[in-house]
Amino acid sequence: MPHRRYRNSNLVFHILVISAALGQGSIVRAAQSADFDQIVAPILAAHCLECHSGAEPRGGLDLSHVDRAMKGGNSGEVIVRHNSSVSLMWERIDSDEMPPEHPLDSAEKAAIKDWIENGAEWGTSLIDPFAVTTPKRAGYDWWSLQPLKETQPPETDSGGWVRNEIDSFVLRRLREAKLQPSDQSSPRALVRRLYFDLIGLPPAPETVADFAANPSETAYQKLVDDLLTSQHYGERWGRHWLDVVRFGESGGFERNRPRMNAWPYRDWVINAFNSDMPYDEFVRNQLIGDQLKPGFEGAAATGFWVAGVHNTVVGGSERMKLLARQDELEEVIAVVGQTFLGLTVNCARCHDHKFDPIKQKEFYQLTSAISGLGFGERTAQTTEEAAELNQIKERLSTVMHQLAAIENRARKEIIDKRATDFDKKPTAPTALARWDFDADFKDSIGTLHGSAHGNVHIKNGALVLDGSSFVSTPALPKDITTKTLEVWVQLDNLMQQGGGAISIETKKGRVFDSIVFGETHPGHWIPGSDGFVRTDSFRGPVEAEAVRRPVHMAFVYAADGTITGYRDGIQYGSSVRKKPIQKYSANKSKIIFGLRHTTSSNGFLSGRIHRAALYDRALSAEEITAAASSPTEYVTEQQITEWISEAQRDTHRELREQAQTLTKHRNRLQQLANRKLYTLIPQQGAKTHVLLRGDPYNIGEAVEPAAVDAVRGIDADFHLAVDAPEDTRRRKLARWITDPSNPLFSRIIVNRIWHYHFGTGLVDTPNDFGFNGGRPSHPELLEWLAVHFRDSGFRLKDFHQLLVTSSTYRQAAFDNESRSLDGAAVDAGNRLLWRMTPRRLEAECVRDAMLKVAGKLNTQSGGPGFVDVSIVANNGTTYYTPIFVDSADSFRRTVYRFNPRGGRSPLLQTFDCPDSASTAPRRPVTTTPLQALSLMNNSFVLQMSAFFAERVRNEVGDAVSDQVSRAWQLAVARPPTADERQLSLTLVDNHGLQALCRGLFNTSDFVLIE
Amino acid sequence: MFPTANLPVAHPSRRDIFNWGINGLGATALLSMLNHDASATEVQRGLPQFPAKAKRAIHICLIGGMSHIDSFDYKPALEKFHGKSLQTDEQPDIFFGKVGLLKKQEWRFAPRGDSGLMISDMFPHIAELADDLTILRSMESESANHTPALFLANSGFEANGFPSMGSWVSYGLGSETDSLPAYVVLNDDRGAPNTGTSTWSSAFLPSSSQGVVFEAGDQPVRDLFPAQPVPIAADQATREFVNAVNRRQLSKTNADVTLSARLRSYELAAKMQLSVPEVADVSGETRETTEAYGVNNKQTADMGRRCLLGRRLLERGVRFVQLFSGGPIAGSPRASWDAHESVLDNHTIEAGRIDQPVAALLRDLKQRGMLQDTLVLFTTEFGRTPFAQSAADKVGPGRDHNRYGFSGWMAGAGLKSGFAFGETDEIGWKNVKRPIPWHDFHATVLHLMGIDHKQLTYYHNGIQRRLTNVHGDIVKEILA
Repeated sequence: MPHRRYRNSNLVFHILVISAALGQGSIVRAAQSADFDQIVAPILAAHCLECHSGAEPRGGLDLSHVDRAMKGGNSGEVIVRHNSSVSLMWERIDSDEMPPEHPLDSAEKAAIKDWIENGAEWGTSLIDPFAVTTPKRAGYDWWSLQPLKETQPPETDSGGWVRNEIDSFVLRRLREAKLQPSDQSSPRALVRRLYFDLIGLPPAPETVADFAANPSETAYQKLVDDLLTSQHYGERWGRHWLDVVRFGESGGFERNRPRMNAWPYRDWVINAFNSDMPYDEFVRNQLIGDQLKPGFEGAAATGFWVAGVHNTVVGGSERMKLLARQDELEEVIAVVGQTFLGLTVNCARCHDHKFDPIKQKEFYQLTSAISGLGFGERTAQTTEEAAELNQIKERLSTVMHQLAAIENRARKEIIDKRATDFDKKPTAPTALARWDFDADFKDSIGTLHGSAHGNVHIKNGALVLDGSSFVSTPALPKDITTKTLEVWVQLDNLMQQGGGAISIETKKGRVFDSIVFGETHPGHWIPGSDGFVRTDSFRGPVEAEAVRRPVHMAFVYAADGTITGYRDGIQYGSSVRKKPIQKYSANKSKIIFGLRHTTSSNGFLSGRIHRAALYDRALSAEEITAAASSPTEYVTEQQITEWISEAQRDTHRELREQAQTLTKHRNRLQQLANRKLYTLIPQQGAKTHVLLRGDPYNIGEAVEPAAVDAVRGIDADFHLAVDAPEDTRRRKLARWITDPSNPLFSRIIVNRIWHYHFGTGLVDTPNDFGFNGGRPSHPELLEWLAVHFRDSGFRLKDFHQLLVTSSTYRQAAFDNESRSLDGAAVDAGNRLLWRMTPRRLEAECVRDAMLKVAGKLNTQSGGPGFVDVSIVANNGTTYYTPIFVDSADSFRRTVYRFNPRGGRSPLLQTFDCPDSASTAPRRPVTTTPLQALSLMNNSFVLQMSAFFAERVRNEVGDAVSDQVSRAWQLAVARPPTADERQLSLTLVDNHGLQALCRGLFNTSDFVLIE
Repeated sequence: MFPTANLPVAHPSRRDIFNWGINGLGATALLSMLNHDASATEVQRGLPQFPAKAKRAIHICLIGGMSHIDSFDYKPALEKFHGKSLQTDEQPDIFFGKVGLLKKQEWRFAPRGDSGLMISDMFPHIAELADDLTILRSMESESANHTPALFLANSGFEANGFPSMGSWVSYGLGSETDSLPAYVVLNDDRGAPNTGTSTWSSAFLPSSSQGVVFEAGDQPVRDLFPAQPVPIAADQATREFVNAVNRRQLSKTNADVTLSARLRSYELAAKMQLSVPEVADVSGETRETTEAYGVNNKQTADMGRRCLLGRRLLERGVRFVQLFSGGPIAGSPRASWDAHESVLDNHTIEAGRIDQPVAALLRDLKQRGMLQDTLVLFTTEFGRTPFAQSAADKVGPGRDHNRYGFSGWMAGAGLKSGFAFGETDEIGWKNVKRPIPWHDFHATVLHLMGIDHKQLTYYHNGIQRRLTNVHGDIVKEILA
């Protein structure tokens, strides 16, 4: 047994091998002393060893081992055999000085005294402080670590109340407490509860009415089945899972860079729930999906590993780097331990766990198993996708050749003709400044000569931009309000996002307007602006050609703030207007090319600019057309179509259509092939050592990858060497976690599901089944559920079914008053389940319910999230500020919201949506004035109130009475009471329907699930 | 066979008290409810736990690392060693790792006030108030890296996800007013610090203890008023409708606690709509006051306005106000105290922005008799190195990060004033006397506010979390 003696404050340890014969963990019988093991050792373990054992025992005194105990501590010998009165240990105990704060009781004192008086015979040499559970900590016998046990539901005469096993267990506890279950909920409350619980959306009033008319068992079952097969089920339950694994879409820390490609993990989780993937498989895929399913799916699943924060600024010193890595590993292993097993293994980083039987060494064993953890992006595609892509590319190439043959001839003819009748060419409008980029960056009209920043050059009469460079002009000579930005631009690729072709901006780029490609809408041209204040989508077609040839883009900024886009002289989508026009003052503004705005770090364009111009007025459509056709070499599609002969026209059109379809197809496939995922990038596994006190410069023994021994019924040894390959380590870890014999694996998940259905888990700390966690309110029920879940194949949908069809689940939240008073008096927290606990909707449900009620919910599932924040990179950090977006895309469910850390809107934040900085196994539920303000005043709420009112008017017409009925039905699935109707009528009469809609969103009935 | 939760319980347990946010309005509401409902022993567990010296605090948080040896920690030996090399084999744990020659202070130091505290000319206005300061000269940090260091200074942990000091204080004590948030944050007009909202996050504490950012303009708090125009009469009528309907729903549910909390939250929201614009509008202050704060001077306008606003917030019962001096960390020119390039240039600008306003705040609090129960905190992420950040044979103009020893100060309630405590070595590199890690600083702040830092806990994922983690010794020597 290696002994460590604490030497000095520099944390240097001498390793003294006292006896080579005593191997690690071996137990030596020092003497026959049953008394010691039975009576004294448990007292020492419970009251003394927390301080007086381990690597650095307090006062130098180690009471866990006979030799060290007898030797004493810094104050010398503490136990004098047969003489308690001179034994320092007894003196301290007798005077209540030790143990501090919680002195021993008289029986315990007597036992210690007797033991010393009788010669202080030692029993088992090494007292394992984890051997038994004590009042201060858990031992190996801790309830949650024991193998699962079969339990039988009690038989009770319930008068028909018991529907399934759950009810039997619950009823017995209620009766023990002399309580009665509540009546069954009203059909309305029941349907609403079921909808929000299973899919997170409110039911249609008609659904409620149907069920109320026929509230049969069959009808109830049908509802449950329908909801469990809805795509919305996965969206609802996937969101719960994302809370637990603290999934966020930015890196956190100083840089907090966005992770635009983290969403495949979110989609994978949702799909896994929807396809009822067995829970063990669900977990296995998240841990080792890259090994199980190489390609996209596996890579998406292992996004689990990198869902948390990642510090990318770790400083110059070696110590900082090592610490940052250790912090990262601790954070991730904490989530692994708590998510799947309810073990807070992270608490054993610096010392043995203070409350649970987890050794410090075991923390490092687990760390070794995940030491290949790496964060990053990779591309992934399936083999079918690759083959299909090649085939499409070949077909496309053939079509393009045929097309080129026709078009090139026409183009040549047109250009030749132009040369001959030069006068007929439409006159292009006069610009304020114009850059031809033929040989330099000069303004050919005025003095706004550009200068280069970074690696830019002129080639073949175009400005070449490499995606990290730009050109800027000196300050504008005059104020610019109405304006037109014009550019002939060609792109290196269509995947790029956020690059600006030409921008007008204030000096430091804080305010700007820009012709931007693909920023909020990949593949589209959009009018970029600071904080998106003037930005909206034109909803024009997806750009497909700008890689092959220059397109002519012009954005016209009219005096009333309307922005109109043109592509090749033809209007691009529809005009947008969000804000009044922005003025750019003389001498304080300038033009830049190739960058969205000067303070942007992600706004660079890759491509070439052939020509550009700035007009100090809003050009008309005709002028734009003229401008678009001014370079003599360029011929538009339309001109070609008009030029070619009648005979050729059909072939041409057909080829064009084919080319378009094929291009679309190819682009989609290419996008798939190039799609990036933010996911686990495994590194080589590291040889891992125990770090004493968690200090990276205080290196202890090397450890093999392994797990926690205290979890009973399963082997924690991975039988791997310290330098085992990364994939094997992780595989063994996954096997240990998901082993059906791992009792925590099933207990944790059934409790989690229970928690989300009932508001509180059977254990009220879903991430912690250790000593500091809660104790089960219904231990036998928890056990029964865990066994049942495991034995029926880890099926989650079946499990929901079991829960929601119980009588326990179907109880009313607000029953008759006397029963409520009984229940409240005995069990205010409703842990015994004498009613259904009323719950407030979570942030996402509040938002989704408003969308649904307003008739605006966009049910599109999957894919990149919608973005309702501005993403501003400023001096090395990224700021996310909520902005008001008004597009169908943003009307998707909140789970599809791009979710950067530090970027919640006040509406989500005040409704306790977690910031995904750390795991959120249960959300706080607060009610604050700021929450009330958000629900009244947030732009989204006002917007939805308007849509809601519009929907009601469309459905029932202008009669106020009908409007009131319908609005109440849609919002809370019931008619108003007479009183409520009167209040509503008055409100609508005086202030319009929208006021009522806004009010209804703020009622307790709307945000409360009974 | 299994341990069972201690059920049933009619009265809230200790954990329920501290986890009250799960179901209620936060600590203040809880205390008032307990007064109706609970046994005496549980009321005694409320906060503050013993008579508080300070009822409120204002924290001036310097982003980027202020040089202590040029401001509050006079090191005459540095003059002697100027241009000499640092005699050590140690590789200092700094950021860029360039260890230049030792570099003397850039500002003249002088004894100030009756106390004779040595403060440099970097802060001429604050120096005039030396007799009111309690200078801590042996602060230390675990990290010489901005973000972890800033997190640590605010939350006691180096990562995202832990509640900040202001959140803990608000959580523990609630607000003295129900019409303003308990914890208000005022950012530098050059931007929020890099860590953004994570810096003042309530993390796993209830969101009622979240720092609320007050912005300039007519909507100081987001969503205070309708985000799109709503006629005043319609707005008023809608609120009355909501209250009327919610009152009816409450009565149907036997006065369910969640519903009554909702009703109350709308009443408080209405109060907040009056109070917030009132407090944010400084136009009623005298010309003399605004001049004193430097509101009308370009250089000091930003901090002057925020210091004045800070006083107004404290006056009206806000528990914790946090002012940042400095925005994002990188970039050129720097918008923070991160003087890698030139201490003289950078600190001249930064100190010039805040010296007069902070001094005015202290004077104003004093004049109004508020300083006796208000705590003013002035801290930075870490100090700067006594050696230049330059080539090994040069005395360059900049200094790197120094986590081993640096200065901050407190002023106000319960402190020995005109007093400096702690000591760094003769060149100001490392602490030699009573190092004050952040956990000790936090423990002391909580103590001054009447809270035992070991008792203010919140269960989160396996552990009763606290601001001081498992550390924290009160710096008793500075207590009056």
